[in-house]
Amino acid sequence: MREIYEISDRFIEAGDANHLLYEPLAGGLTYRRTRRYEIQYEGDAAAMEAFVRKTLLDGISQELHQGEGAALTGYGFALEYGMKPGALDLEKEAILSYYRGIPSPGFELKDLRIRQRIYLFGGKGDESGRFVRDICNAAIHQWNVLPGHV
Amino acid sequence: MEDRPCALLLKFPGTNCDAETARALEAVGFVTEVLPVSALKPGKLVGVSLVVLSGGFSYGDYVMSGRIASLVTEQKIGETLKDFRDNGGYILGICNGFQILTQLDLLPAGSLVENASGRFQCQWVKMKNLAPKSPFLSRCPAEFELPIAHAEGRLVTKEAAEAAGYLKSGAAALVYTDEVNGSFERIAGLTDESGRVFGLMPHPERFMKARDHYDPDWEGGEGGWGSGYWLFKSLHEAIKEGEA
Repeated sequence: MREIYEISDRFIEAGDANHLLYEPLAGGLTYRRTRRYEIQYEGDAAAMEAFVRKTLLDGISQELHQGEGAALTGYGFALEYGMKPGALDLEKEAILSYYRGIPSPGFELKDLRIRQRIYLFGGKGDESGRFVRDICNAAIHQWNVLPGHV
Repeated sequence: MEDRPCALLLKFPGTNCDAETARALEAVGFVTEVLPVSALKPGKLVGVSLVVLSGGFSYGDYVMSGRIASLVTEQKIGETLKDFRDNGGYILGICNGFQILTQLDLLPAGSLVENASGRFQCQWVKMKNLAPKSPFLSRCPAEFELPIAHAEGRLVTKEAAEAAGYLKSGAAALVYTDEVNGSFERIAGLTDESGRVFGLMPHPERFMKARDHYDPDWEGGEGGWGSGYWLFKSLHEAIKEGEA
């Protein structure tokens, strides 16, 4: 079975997207980050979701979105990136190490894929190339640019 | 026989302030042990008066700051830290240690999220001591300065009214005098109902001596000591009084 969770922050306002770039853009874009977890598993779906809520979500400051759809709306484009298969993903290793230490998790975690999403708001035209260039590292990252949802 | 109280400093992968915190604790009269979390077992707290979670970036701050460290601690020793507190033990969390304590539910509900500036902030801050009877703050002045160095130090609660309630209940033991990182009610440090658990974002171990202050002419240091010294000294005295 497969499930996707996306986690967004309740309290973090959209920030100046120029903070993500080596050279500022004139456009006045803002951004918000989320984390996406794609989980392949077998076993009890409720146990798996309980694991996600306990391990990956902060119930005070974050919101959990389930499914393929984007957690945020109104964005011009979004950049999704994560580690290439085979590249060392320390966040993934930390989560898996914790999972392996649970005596009876109630489900079997077959695979975990972690992605960061940066939603860009405002601006004119397609500026995604600048963000790909300055944020992603072709040696270790895979990425894709998602069209806007305005 | 050793009559100095024992402070146990838990070290996670990415903890990087344990050595200087141990030195600070020894300066006020503690004997210290730095324990890698891989060696943590419930029995390790026997004979310990103080457990310290020092600053750093445990587990690379993956997922969110303090999350993996809190999960691993819970996995290794379960409710032992709560039992330790209930049996009279003291627990101090500094910076990343504060983040871990909030995740372990050892402090009033709150979460430390990205600074409102969106940036890592490394600066000196002034705070008001709102808990002068706290064992952690009894020797600290009404206002004092310490350095901060964090990206995720903004204390938030599910509803803003909860943070306001912490001011009334006394849980908000330290507040910034100025707007620093967007913390609700400018909270810089929280204590629990027992008064034996305390977490703060600033680093007392980095201001042990008057000469550590950014102003070379600073004259606030009684006996040549900095504000951080008096925080650790308060705690040492409380523990020694409890033993007497």
